[in-house]
Amino acid sequence: MNAVTGSLAATRAAAPMPVQRRYDAGLLGLVAALVGVALILGLAKPETYLVNAIGQLAALAILAVSLDLVWGYLGILSLGHGLFFAIGGYVCAMHLSAHAYAVTGTAPDVMQFMGWASLPFYWTGMTSAPYALVLAIALAVLVAFLFGWASFRSRVNGVYFSIISQALVYVAMLLMFRNDTGFGGNNGMTSFTLLFGFAMGAPGTVLTLTIVTILALAAVLIGCGRLVASGIGRQMLACRDDETRLRTLGYGTTALKLKIWCLSAAIAALAGILYVPQVGIINPRVLAPDLSLEIAVWVAIGGMGRLSGAVIGAVLVNALKFWLTAAMPEAWPFILSGLVLLVVLVLPNGLLDLGRLKPTWLSRGMPR
Amino acid sequence: MFSGSVRTDMKVAIGAILAVFLWTGTASADVLDRGAFAAALCGDAASLGSAAEAVTRRAADLSRDDLAWAAQPLRGILERRLVCLGTSAVLLDRPGAGEGRSVVSGDPQPAAGARASVLGLRQRALVETADGVLALLAAPQVEARAAGLWAAERRIAAVPDGVFARAEAAETDAGLKAAIARVAEAAALSSPDPQRRLAAIDRVAGAPSSNALSRLSALKADAAYAADPAFRAALDAGIAQVERAVAVGNGLAILYNGLSFASILFMAAAGLAIIFGLMGVINLAQGEFIMIGAYATYGVQEALRLIAPAWLDLYLILAIPVAFLATALVGIAIEALVLRHLYRRPLMSLLATWAVSLFLINLVRVAFGTRNLQFTMPSYVSGGIALYADFVVTWNRLFAIGFAAGTLVLTLLVLRATPLGLNIRAVTQNRDMAGCLGIPTRQVDRLAFGFGSGLAGLAGVALAPIYSVNPQMGATFIIDSFMVVVLGGVGTVVGTLIAALGVGQINVLIEPFYGAVAAKVIVLVGIILFLQWRPEGLVAARRRR
Repeated sequence: MNAVTGSLAATRAAAPMPVQRRYDAGLLGLVAALVGVALILGLAKPETYLVNAIGQLAALAILAVSLDLVWGYLGILSLGHGLFFAIGGYVCAMHLSAHAYAVTGTAPDVMQFMGWASLPFYWTGMTSAPYALVLAIALAVLVAFLFGWASFRSRVNGVYFSIISQALVYVAMLLMFRNDTGFGGNNGMTSFTLLFGFAMGAPGTVLTLTIVTILALAAVLIGCGRLVASGIGRQMLACRDDETRLRTLGYGTTALKLKIWCLSAAIAALAGILYVPQVGIINPRVLAPDLSLEIAVWVAIGGMGRLSGAVIGAVLVNALKFWLTAAMPEAWPFILSGLVLLVVLVLPNGLLDLGRLKPTWLSRGMPR
Repeated sequence: MFSGSVRTDMKVAIGAILAVFLWTGTASADVLDRGAFAAALCGDAASLGSAAEAVTRRAADLSRDDLAWAAQPLRGILERRLVCLGTSAVLLDRPGAGEGRSVVSGDPQPAAGARASVLGLRQRALVETADGVLALLAAPQVEARAAGLWAAERRIAAVPDGVFARAEAAETDAGLKAAIARVAEAAALSSPDPQRRLAAIDRVAGAPSSNALSRLSALKADAAYAADPAFRAALDAGIAQVERAVAVGNGLAILYNGLSFASILFMAAAGLAIIFGLMGVINLAQGEFIMIGAYATYGVQEALRLIAPAWLDLYLILAIPVAFLATALVGIAIEALVLRHLYRRPLMSLLATWAVSLFLINLVRVAFGTRNLQFTMPSYVSGGIALYADFVVTWNRLFAIGFAAGTLVLTLLVLRATPLGLNIRAVTQNRDMAGCLGIPTRQVDRLAFGFGSGLAGLAGVALAPIYSVNPQMGATFIIDSFMVVVLGGVGTVVGTLIAALGVGQINVLIEPFYGAVAAKVIVLVGIILFLQWRPEGLVAARRRR
């Protein structure tokens, strides 16, 4: 449908403007630090509890990066990213259950809850890890594509898009709370025993999983860093700041948004795949609208529009949450809401702005 | 209208039946020979039994005086207060007293040497039935009449039809009247007389309900169903008629529930739509404003309980201005403290209002606990009126619907007929131009935000008698009301109204067939598809940009 605009965009791509590549020093430093952490963990082998916590933080950081990609760089605030995270998580949980079933013969919870003699047909092939991996990513991308295509082509954007995506994740939550879907209903799926034949809780497995997650985070950061520094990254920023003008200039913004949106969903699904084996459970509560909103909070606190900001925000907020929900559970919601208001009102670019404190009422018109 | 006419027909029919009974009653007015009756009570066991049986049989035709009079000695027999001196019956005040009153004349009479009346097992049953029937017809207290009905029901075959018809016509207590009608109907349905049974089937079918359906269906097991073609035809026709009526009644009930759900959605969404149209801000804390409205209602109730318990019933009415003002003030405070800084960054305002909602939920949780609040239901929102078949118009839902209608009128009046409304519409259409013309846009924003929040508070008042009130209650409605805003279009009250009706009705219509979850899925998918066709929603607000 966008033959004209598409070819124009192609022309532009064929004759590249002198794009000034911004090598984000902060990002490179962060990647180096992550690799360093992975090395230290591998050599020092600290307590399993700590290793596991670090691994979870890394998975959540990947999720934050996926949201920052569409929100910080494209101006699309998704309040439903928990959906893609959950798709990855659920498919991963299905693989773990089916794998353990095939090896040990213990029937998965899903079968036991429902009193089924065999798994439903859509569990076929779940014992194969590559198939599950491809399926998880493909499913997330497919859902993202359908929803994104329907929304972007009718130019649903801004706050509208946000609340519709929230409704999407809410409906998905209601759906997964049903017990007859074959995904465990409100109990979800848990008590996974094996990962590629290794015992789930063993220190070696946990350590490997954590290191893999950290390296995956580093890889995602490098990939996304290259993307946002490229010509497409420029288009993304332009689309964020003035979509109408970019469209008028002949760029197909719908296709651009759809591509990045699907990429973001794939990264979120990856985060879910890495997260579930570490926490050992998935249930419909990951689809709660509040969780999806919290992802945006991590990004906002860390500093949206910068990939390193998303990582820092996710790690800081979640570390704080791990600590405070155990230490003083009553106070955590107040602290979280206080943090959000502080960041939103005083530090429009998140904690990374702390260095050059500049109140928002002096700087209206910051990137949305 | 439809249900009304059916109901009128039914009333006429029942009235006609009653008239027939009453007419036969007065035509063959019967007089009790008091002397003979008293003497029979003091005869042998058989004469006592037949006297009780006779008075039962004639009860429908005897005068009220005779009934009240005959009730005394019968009750006396059961309580061992009736003694006999030869054939003269004496009623004592308590068993074993030395002196009593003559049953016939009422004069004081010594009871020395008197023997107790003879009461066998069979006679006891007959006396109990007679006593029950007389109490049902002539006892002054409701409790006594209810006990009488219960006694009569135990030996229903011995009780003539006319008794129930007369008792029902004379009964003043609504609950007991219904109970009498039910018993009379059961008596007629199992009557040995085929004509009477057919008439009873007609009557039951004339007042359809699922209860009537189960009673008629039970008759299919009756021997007459197989043996008597006329009976079978009448019963089948009756069942079909009741089934149709029950289906219509259930349909009406679903529409009614949808309407009340839509009312709540409308009240929650109207404020959202106005604020969104004006400032481009979606208030994620709108659900918590509903909660504040409900808690303010609770506060009014508790305050009234302390200050003026006699006026407690009025708390829902008094809560209307209180909840509106309380929520409006909270809204204005939040606008002034937070949102004012975020108008150019609407996505950030989503996060900020979410933080506010998190804060409010936990504040209320700490202050009041997580349990559901207890509301005393005022008389005007409890119960309802059965309109047609199983369709009951419950007052609490009607309250919500009426309330939403009131809110709609209020909102339209404010928007169309006040200076504030004029300003809101101007700023919604073109903020910059309105500002150039001297409209204080920031002040308009603040007042409009307060007004929109106040509307959510009103929704809280309407919710209090229907749903459970706890800190998390806002989450139940908020996503549905967002969908209403998206579907209805930005900044239009009419669009919001239509969308609320649509979303509310579709939710409730689909629910019985595919479940609540499917209803939500279908509504969401429907809205996304609808936006393909009309991205601006049902009613696009006029904007000049």
